[in-house]
Amino acid sequence: MSFASNDQIIAALTNGQTWRADYTKNMNPTLAAVANEGHLLARGAGNPPSDALFDVGANLTFIPVLDTTASAGSIQHGGDVQSTGVTKHLINGQAVTSAATVVPATMILVDIVGYYRTTTVTTTTAQATTNTLGLTDTFTAAVTDICTYTSTANKPSNLLTGTRVRLTTTTTLPAPLATATDYFVIRIDNSTFRLATSYANAIAGTQIDITNTGTGTHTITWLLPRYTNGAGLNAMIFNPAATALGAATPSLSLGYTNSVGVASRVTPAVLPVGKTAAANSIILYTGATSAGKYNFAVPRQGGDAGYAQIDTIQNSTSYVSGSYTTALYKELYRVPVTTLGVPGERNAMYEIPSLPRIYDGAALYWVLLSGVATPVNSTFSGFVDFIWG
Amino acid sequence: MTKIIGIAQLVDNELEGRTNTYSFRKNPSQVTTQGIWFDLALSPGNPVPKYWFGTPLAATAINQSGDGGLYHGASVFPGKKYLRKTTVTVNNVVTALPMNLTLCDYIMYYPLIDEGTTDEQFMTNTTTLPRYTDGKGVQVMAILVAAGLGGQSFFINYTNSEGVAGRISQTVLENTATSLGVVKTSALNANANTCLFIPLQSGDSGVRSIESVTMLGPDVGLFSLVLVKPLANTQIVGIDAPVEKDYLLESGILPEIFPDAFLNFLCIPRGALNGTGILIDMKVVWTT
Repeated sequence: MSFASNDQIIAALTNGQTWRADYTKNMNPTLAAVANEGHLLARGAGNPPSDALFDVGANLTFIPVLDTTASAGSIQHGGDVQSTGVTKHLINGQAVTSAATVVPATMILVDIVGYYRTTTVTTTTAQATTNTLGLTDTFTAAVTDICTYTSTANKPSNLLTGTRVRLTTTTTLPAPLATATDYFVIRIDNSTFRLATSYANAIAGTQIDITNTGTGTHTITWLLPRYTNGAGLNAMIFNPAATALGAATPSLSLGYTNSVGVASRVTPAVLPVGKTAAANSIILYTGATSAGKYNFAVPRQGGDAGYAQIDTIQNSTSYVSGSYTTALYKELYRVPVTTLGVPGERNAMYEIPSLPRIYDGAALYWVLLSGVATPVNSTFSGFVDFIWG
Repeated sequence: MTKIIGIAQLVDNELEGRTNTYSFRKNPSQVTTQGIWFDLALSPGNPVPKYWFGTPLAATAINQSGDGGLYHGASVFPGKKYLRKTTVTVNNVVTALPMNLTLCDYIMYYPLIDEGTTDEQFMTNTTTLPRYTDGKGVQVMAILVAAGLGGQSFFINYTNSEGVAGRISQTVLENTATSLGVVKTSALNANANTCLFIPLQSGDSGVRSIESVTMLGPDVGLFSLVLVKPLANTQIVGIDAPVEKDYLLESGILPEIFPDAFLNFLCIPRGALNGTGILIDMKVVWTT
């Protein structure tokens, strides 16, 4: 359950159902930022430590990220809570810097759900990605059409209505379910779900009529560890390595399936333009002022509210050398930092919607959007408060 | 089309991902003057400047897809898109503050009105308003694009939002500011007709097209007439605090952003803006 009143929040705080994550992170460890550059602070030293994750993994393959992923370097938030039937939320946060000449800046807290690494940066055509449904848990099915998770290793309580899944079994799936077939989840609660034959049916609540329980052990597989239907997810492309990318300014584009299951969606005609020799941690198309410098989020096709998966990634001209990473993330929270030594703080309880949800396994990172030139290793500190109940 | 009709619907749209926040940084190079409105569309930064040049006196449509402006995402039609929140921060130049800002949808412009002639200058209106097509709430401002001496007066002949042609604006007085991008009709003095938007004929609330401009005395330089729909207002008061405005909570209304709208801010600084970095976050929410 979530919170329905201030009294419930006070009770949760009194009961110790809270976690404060203090952090101190450095910006890009190798090169100063120019104004309007975005940087993923995961790359900088500090507490939590710099990641050793985003430049690891097979080329063009989706890799999920959790707070427990080795070398993720994400901000911890107090562990999983959903197994006890409650939800976790961000209630308050703060960001401050005393480093000279770095303000104003904006700090954005994001939950990175996964990434695609691109090492074939000299290829200029659209490169297909691999989206193996790699998250699995087991379930049983009943003739009431209700399925129940029987394992929780990959946090199936995060599965949302409209999520595309596939099924496998050691023997025989419940009729009429089949392997190698896309189904869509109708979420009931943290432990149970139904299945639909299409996204539209899932949203409409039209479930598949299950006529027997099958035999053997059944497994459900899906792609995204959180925001599993993709609603609200954005994409950003950054340099995940100490080595700068080569000298080039390619246009960067994504082909993707949106959060309502429509494929062949594309980013706009005027594409984000990557920075030449982009250094460690920089979000490639931020910084210098010219056309194609949108924001740190890659623009989506009109009307789309998220990414279910990225299907192709393209740099229009060769980036010559290096690698870049395309991360799928959910923006949770923004804190402007305007004055040296004066913290920016935001109480999320009084926002509408209030109290951003923190899902089990959330991998939290700060993105820095620089308002002025920002020296190498400029430090940003603060805390984030979480509450559950 | 679905409008947002309540807080529950707004929250549902946001929780279902139909929201985004876009960030910008404008860094004016122009030396502005206290009390003179300035068009940040002409300032360097991100997005890149848009200069109001083109075929002289010819109505020219302004769209995000062709002209830029503050990027707010692609069209969500048949849904509707709304401005939810803005956050504005400036860096360490205090002379320009406090400063009011007005967010506008720039719809159409008439480039390069010649201040050197007192002949009536007739517009070419083969293009019509691409948004707010009836002109309701559409205002006119004169943006300096080639410096003159100022001090002259002019008026415009226009068709109002009811479709009535031959309407005559109030006669407005030009200021003597010379930075490109200043609003020529704004000034500090007590003249009632020195303001951001050109005052219309009594009873009119909007402009559908402009038919002509008449200078009442010769000057040098050029200005362009830009038709805009004011959407929202905010203010930045100091460098030590961002100004965040939630249009739901503080205005009780969510300004609608039309498909392909070209958005930008007008500002009225207290002094010179050159060298000031202005950071803007703009949150939008949309329906299906």
